[in-house]
Amino acid sequence: MGPYDSSIFVGSSSGSSSSSFTGKPPDQIDGLLAGAGYKVRSSELRQVAQCLERLETVMVNAPTEISQLVNDAVHYNPSDLASWVDSLLSELNQPAPVTVPGGSSDYSNLSFVDSLEGLTINQTAITDDWTEHHGAQQQQDVSQQLTVVTAMEEDSGIRLVHVLLTCAESVQRGEFSLAGSLIEEMQGLLTRVNTGCGIGKVAGCFIDALSRRLYTPQGVGSIGSSYDNEILYHHFYEACPNLKFAHFTANQAILEAFDGHDCVHVIDFNLMHGLQWPALIQALALRPGGPPMLRLTGIGLPSPDGRDSLREIGLRLAELASSVNVRFAFRGVAASRLEDVKPWMLQVSPKEVVAINSIMQLHRLLGSDPTRESTIETFLRWIRNLNPKIMTVIEQEANHNQPEFIDRFTEALYYYSTMFDSLEACSTLQEKALAEIYIQREICNVVCCEGLARVERHEPLAKWRARLGGAGFQPLHLGSNAFKQASMLLTLFSAEGYCVEEKEGCLTLGWHSRPLIAASAWQAVAEPSIPIGQRLLVAVNFQTSFKPTPLAFRF
Amino acid sequence: MAGGNEINVNESKRVVPLNTWILISNFKLAYNMLRRPDGTFNRDLAEFLDRKVPANTIPVDGVYSFDVVDRASSLLNRVYMPAPENEVQWGIIELEKPLSTTEIVPVIIFFHGGSFSHSSANSAIYDTFCRRLVGICKAVVVSVNYRRSPEHRYPCACDDGWTALKWVHSRSWLQSGKDSKVHVYLAGDSSGGNIIHHVAVRAAEEEIEVLGNILLHPLFGGQERTEAEKRLDGRYFVTLQNRDWYWRAYLPEGENRDHPACNPFGPRGKSLEGLKFPKSLVVVAGLDLLQDWQLAYVEGLRKAGQEVKLLFLKQATIGFYFLPNNDHFYCLMEMINNFVNSNC
Repeated sequence: MGPYDSSIFVGSSSGSSSSSFTGKPPDQIDGLLAGAGYKVRSSELRQVAQCLERLETVMVNAPTEISQLVNDAVHYNPSDLASWVDSLLSELNQPAPVTVPGGSSDYSNLSFVDSLEGLTINQTAITDDWTEHHGAQQQQDVSQQLTVVTAMEEDSGIRLVHVLLTCAESVQRGEFSLAGSLIEEMQGLLTRVNTGCGIGKVAGCFIDALSRRLYTPQGVGSIGSSYDNEILYHHFYEACPNLKFAHFTANQAILEAFDGHDCVHVIDFNLMHGLQWPALIQALALRPGGPPMLRLTGIGLPSPDGRDSLREIGLRLAELASSVNVRFAFRGVAASRLEDVKPWMLQVSPKEVVAINSIMQLHRLLGSDPTRESTIETFLRWIRNLNPKIMTVIEQEANHNQPEFIDRFTEALYYYSTMFDSLEACSTLQEKALAEIYIQREICNVVCCEGLARVERHEPLAKWRARLGGAGFQPLHLGSNAFKQASMLLTLFSAEGYCVEEKEGCLTLGWHSRPLIAASAWQAVAEPSIPIGQRLLVAVNFQTSFKPTPLAFRF
Repeated sequence: MAGGNEINVNESKRVVPLNTWILISNFKLAYNMLRRPDGTFNRDLAEFLDRKVPANTIPVDGVYSFDVVDRASSLLNRVYMPAPENEVQWGIIELEKPLSTTEIVPVIIFFHGGSFSHSSANSAIYDTFCRRLVGICKAVVVSVNYRRSPEHRYPCACDDGWTALKWVHSRSWLQSGKDSKVHVYLAGDSSGGNIIHHVAVRAAEEEIEVLGNILLHPLFGGQERTEAEKRLDGRYFVTLQNRDWYWRAYLPEGENRDHPACNPFGPRGKSLEGLKFPKSLVVVAGLDLLQDWQLAYVEGLRKAGQEVKLLFLKQATIGFYFLPNNDHFYCLMEMINNFVNSNC
């Protein structure tokens, strides 16, 4: 290779486990293309170039085929250039060109002979610097990065943030009287900022949450009844596109997974008002070849007042299904906690194709009893053993489950600032107020609660990928059609600031480039269950990562 | 459409490294799918295909970044800064103090390219480029996410540029030097280069200080077909046909390429004589079919008595600066570094 060797070693990520087992060195990925957002193996560069060339020839000779490409094709994971160009070629019924060995004369050998007009540069010195630096950048990019900040500008606002963080630190250190006086100081600062919006509003929530944590920790677990929560959820649904994005994206993926199947069963981990399902029922009604027989199992909290609210929702959905001639059966499963649900309750039949739908639910299983096996792992294992055709997972894209309180607090402060900002921009006053209370409850749980009471244990997509990969799931890529659906949804909102992004087959909804929600889809890998050795390894890791603290907090 | 496509492809392959060829050909292919003959643009597919990266407050290779939204205009700016010496300060964004009270730290307002229609401030190629700029020049870079065509035509992008300029000037945390002011430079590639010219003209007219302009193969044009346009059409990734599409998408409806937004020193342009215009560094790629327009731009500045330096890179194609795998890249960076750090 010439002086500008751009290939560096990047360890393979969760995707290709086979190479690590056989001991072969993972393939090298072109480091410079990686910096541009494309993953191409060095060994594949020529092949990819030839495919691009082929596609270009088609473009010149048959331009109408290109518009067909655009209208009909669904694109997946554009970062994987090799598979992207391959799929385009097959769309055009073009065979992929055979790699010509030793075709190096076609391409410049990465060295520059031309001297520039009147300028010369010491090549070697600069090159080494740069390829090494870039290599380091790639390594760090692979590991998890910290939060993005949407900076807040007003002076008092900045001061408030500083004091908030200091207060959280002192809470973590057990310096309660200091924390208390800081809270008083902040309440004073609050009088000098606009608490109706922006940093004032967010700070207000967090100051309130910190006070609760200090002064009434026992009372925090039960904020509001589940009935209240349902009402707030509904307003949050109306106020902003977040939940709609979740539903649309999941439905699109489920619809595609159900293609060609006559007997389908959706298991919804949190039915709420069943807001997600009318759209799917209608889409199934309209599918070419006719609708399947649809079963829906909705999991939800038991109704406190003796009403069978799950059944009521099921009846309404059944009416809708009947009106569009979709054969439909509903079953409600009442459970106080998701982990209390057992496979036999779902009555999955071997003849049917199963879709699991988890919208902001999996993270609730991350709180754990240190004396037992990890809840999430047990849960994921039996889910996988149901052999679902698809599992849609939508989660908050945030790192609110870090072991250190100050880290969670900081991350939450910035995440919910973004959330409040976005709410600001797009809802009517009344909906906004109730949606904000919904968010405030989430904040309170993240900030005030510990142990099993802390259920809002959001983790970022990268962590879920690792977890689900390790539990015997492989990704199903969400494509450009799902992306388009999501974009169309956003244009219905007059708030300009929302964006959808595609990354490695998953879609993220963000506000001004700050991600809020990540949607991904999974299917069970046809493999035996996790080998014993690995299971033990996980258990050991779990034990050693649990550190008892000298403070009064319950972990 | 130029014939002999195979020859065309072979030519471009010989002048750029393999991975660069793949990168730019990939864009060319994708962009072809996005432009519709009726002048509309497949924005959804464009956003789906565009590779984006988040900002990162933790320094990577000595540079960290964060996004700021200007509430008044809803404009997103991505700010890139050199990492603090002290690791303890990593991850903390300082918005209360100036960059320095003794040294001058240039603030480069960067406008990404994309022929007015493609890319964003958080596109991976531009995020990477801005990071390299910071690393080499020890400057702060503010990348502007201006509104794009065809949804937003001229003068939207230039208005957004103006707003960004005013915003940058008003940030106390971007000030530096003993004179406590923001030392602003404007930089942009392709359409970004075009935008900064217009922003700089307005700045000169309204007496807002800009210390220098850096135009990286800026997008200029005109009704006439120049010699280079005819000679290089379709040979190095770019065709006249697609250039025309972008002008039709950007310029006000019904306008032609002699509109001053496209042809600032053309028949409908105006002279900058007598105007306190910033010094300019204009970079021209010798294999860019638009070079005659860019050279005419340089001439236009010279005739108006403005200070301008031309960097002509004979064997460079468009986009040579995306990957640091060629001499042109290093040459360019050295020039930019000298340009913003010369204190003259």
